[in-house]
Amino acid sequence: MIRLDRKVVEAVQAAAVREDLYPWLQNAIELEHSTIPPYLTAMFSLKPGTNDEIARLIRSIVQEEMLHMTIAGNILIAIGGRPKINVPGFIPKYPGPLPMAIGGSTFKVGIEAFSQPLVHDIFMEIEKPEHPIPVKTLTAEAVPDFATIGEFYAALMAKITHFGDSIFTISPAEQVLNWFDAARLFPITSATSANKGIQIIVDEGEGTRTDPFQSPGDPAHYYKFGEIFFGRKIVKTADGFAYGGDPIRFDPAGVYPMKANPKIADFAPGTQARSRMEQFSCAYSSLLNALHTAFNGQPANIDVAIGLMYELKMIAVSLMQTPIGDGSKMTAGPSFEYIGALADAIA
Amino acid sequence: MSYLDIPRLVFTGGFQADVSTVNNDVRYFDNATFQKKYQDISTTGDDGGWNPVGTGIFRFDGCRITGARLGNQHIVSAAQDPIIGMALENADDRVFGKLVDLDPQQQMVSQIWGMQLRLDGGGEKALFRGDFVPVAFMNLWRRQQTGVSMDQQLGAVYQSVLRNVVWQSAANSKVLDALRAASAQGLLAINFNLYGYARDPAIGRYTLGLVAGVIGPYLPNEPKHFVIGRQMVAATGPNPTAPSNGIYSFQCKVHEDRKILSADFGNCLPIVNGEGGFVDNGQLTMAVLKTDTDTVLSTVPVDQVAILGNLDYLKSGWYAQTAGIQEFDYSADAWIAANIASRPLLLLKQQADNSYKVLVQESLGGLYVRSDSMVCRLEPDKTGAIDLYASRYGKRLQGAIAFSDTQGAMGGSGAGSDPLTPPVAIPDIAIPADAISYPAQLPCDPQGKATLKFTVDLGKNPNPRGYIDGQLYGIAYQLTTQPAQSIGSFWNFISVLAFSPFVAPKSPTWYADIQPIVTQYGNLYPIMSKHLVDLGDYDSVVRHLKILRLAFSLPIEDPNHMPVTRDLSDARRAMILRWIDSPGADGLPLKGTPVALAVRMPAQAAPEPIPLHLDPLQTRGKTEVILQYEARINAKEHP
Repeated sequence: MIRLDRKVVEAVQAAAVREDLYPWLQNAIELEHSTIPPYLTAMFSLKPGTNDEIARLIRSIVQEEMLHMTIAGNILIAIGGRPKINVPGFIPKYPGPLPMAIGGSTFKVGIEAFSQPLVHDIFMEIEKPEHPIPVKTLTAEAVPDFATIGEFYAALMAKITHFGDSIFTISPAEQVLNWFDAARLFPITSATSANKGIQIIVDEGEGTRTDPFQSPGDPAHYYKFGEIFFGRKIVKTADGFAYGGDPIRFDPAGVYPMKANPKIADFAPGTQARSRMEQFSCAYSSLLNALHTAFNGQPANIDVAIGLMYELKMIAVSLMQTPIGDGSKMTAGPSFEYIGALADAIA
Repeated sequence: MSYLDIPRLVFTGGFQADVSTVNNDVRYFDNATFQKKYQDISTTGDDGGWNPVGTGIFRFDGCRITGARLGNQHIVSAAQDPIIGMALENADDRVFGKLVDLDPQQQMVSQIWGMQLRLDGGGEKALFRGDFVPVAFMNLWRRQQTGVSMDQQLGAVYQSVLRNVVWQSAANSKVLDALRAASAQGLLAINFNLYGYARDPAIGRYTLGLVAGVIGPYLPNEPKHFVIGRQMVAATGPNPTAPSNGIYSFQCKVHEDRKILSADFGNCLPIVNGEGGFVDNGQLTMAVLKTDTDTVLSTVPVDQVAILGNLDYLKSGWYAQTAGIQEFDYSADAWIAANIASRPLLLLKQQADNSYKVLVQESLGGLYVRSDSMVCRLEPDKTGAIDLYASRYGKRLQGAIAFSDTQGAMGGSGAGSDPLTPPVAIPDIAIPADAISYPAQLPCDPQGKATLKFTVDLGKNPNPRGYIDGQLYGIAYQLTTQPAQSIGSFWNFISVLAFSPFVAPKSPTWYADIQPIVTQYGNLYPIMSKHLVDLGDYDSVVRHLKILRLAFSLPIEDPNHMPVTRDLSDARRAMILRWIDSPGADGLPLKGTPVALAVRMPAQAAPEPIPLHLDPLQTRGKTEVILQYEARINAKEHP
């Protein structure tokens, strides 16, 4: 997704002191996180033993979104900011717009089971590069007259270069540096390392301007979703690129029939669906709390967060096998609602 | 101090126990004969049982503070104290607790591990949070005696301590302030009753049940898992979950300073159905017998008892406000005040002939001994140690405790009564019998405390159960001076799971060493093997090495500890970690070469399960374990 409010880029460009960058790095964290719930849901909805290749592709994308969120968090920490992860507004309202009105206020992202239209209409839109490379069977669109995520990150990089190394005052001991290989997740100690991190975010998300592959054999997100949608691996051809490689088969029967955009309030207290949906949202909120702790002075707590991620998957697949109880074949699903202390007490 | 002291909070609500049912039959632990269909859901008692995809999660679900006791004040509304209506929640920054059986052949001491509870006052931080000290349930019984024949009928109680308690002041609650002041720093006592558990996948309450409990003060010199108090012991027949008089065992405490008897009826009164609500058994009365006795009484004349009071159990809202704990004020009765410390308590029901039927009687002579913990996972080179406390009429007793072998309801297939194709031998437990060592007797110290130490040496045959690691032993205990007619509580014994001695090879490989261990987990926990990591598959395992390394290296108390079932010995766990940490030339852990699947027969096979004609909803759970046990006892007595 390329469009965003030009004022965002202008605000980054207007930053006078490092503190002016805090809200925009916070926004970057929120942006990178915001795609994880819809991607995860699509991935969880694929039954094991079927559609495994598709699940693997989405999983690799989700892991990179997590890496990008971590890089943005570490940059914010490195220049003295404090990531805020366990606040109700951190999770976008699904279905709804993404942070910074990415894609415009009418572009809405929901929580749905995997489907081909979901991949094409939503996921590929989210990941569409600033300069899409024409791939056979795809029509390149004219670059529209909006600011772009690419510009946003470019503005951040320019501003970091402008401020120089002196804004990096916080020890890397506070940064989360575990669980990804050191070539992609490294201490942020200087303008150079920060911008190297941002470049990873851009490249993995968009690919480079000339190559859909961020690294050999590993296409950027947009093209991975393209592979899923068009059902074939992307390959280099004599005149460019094409979705003409090995088939990636999709079996529509291998998807749990999850009700789209379920909400806890849709289900009566005491029902199976309600209890398990609350359980998921509690666990997701716990994950955000654990991440918040990890990004606010206790980076070792990332291990606790990782444990929660695995448990969340078990809860999610249980949910997706839980009938919603209206006589239909539809099942419940995760709603990613933040269960804060206050929210619960009011309920 | 204990949960029977004041102040205390009462909480009620629901719980979820999302247990996996594949591991409820010991025969499924045999990798050589395991079949994929054993992972399929079945409500007819075969295959994977009623919840094969269970996650093991145990959590409170919608629990609120619904009552409190502060001094003589009974608090039931937020106008009296803001604590009423607050939520008692699970941890909000780590995974949920887990409900864990000790072993498929000892499923009657299921422990809650890794659970944190927090009182949510609506602010950013919990008013207090604390870690639940793992404990097994006690006093499992058929609390619902009519209606659906399923585990939903069973109720049980968990009594423990919250440790690492962190308080947040500013709640403006006198109850909380008093509780904090009365309890040792960082500790609280907790007791809760579980009932109405639904295991029918066709109903909305599937895997959910109801809970009523209390949180009170705790002091460190007390046992963690029972109260040194007055123990009312119900008689049962061959089915230990069916009390002869329809009401189960419970505990009380005399508070001589306040001239109060507090009695916990939270788990002993029958309910009408899975939604709760008490069976109307008419007027029930607590009393003190005027003479001491060494015999079990069936009736007493009215003039032989001093009445403490009638139970409030039929009053509207009573259970939610008290969790079944009732206080009897005897300050107006001089005889009771002078004699309650030396005469037995009785739960009575008045009869037409000017007598009372004795429903539950205090342990004979007021004598009682209990191990604080009931469960021990014992490493081969370690000595087990468990504290016991003796008392007489609620006062610590410097008595002597005698120990002996027992098996309780351990053994058999677990919860599986149908023959398997191909057949799989059921391992006999507690053999060799002489492998376990413990003293025949132990004296208590002046505080009534003794520490039993025991070892298990499986050196002669490290794997007596063949395809499942380790061996089970049970240790019974009683006071040497207990009267001949004493009724022991069926649940009061120590269950020991002694792990097999094991020496790992220097360079373990996947095929030879790792796969045989982890495949079993993959078979038994399909929610994990199908959706997270297929532990039987090398490629899947090496894709998840980092998370596996973390989970296998966490201490047993950690909620992310792996295996969740906590049934892997230290030596085998260390071998898995070493295998992960010692990659070969390709940078991956050693794969080795395929080896033939070892046939691992039990040293001695137990008899085949006795065919039971069960309702589908009685199968694959505690009910089937108990009915199998009852059938074994009956077969022994009437061959």
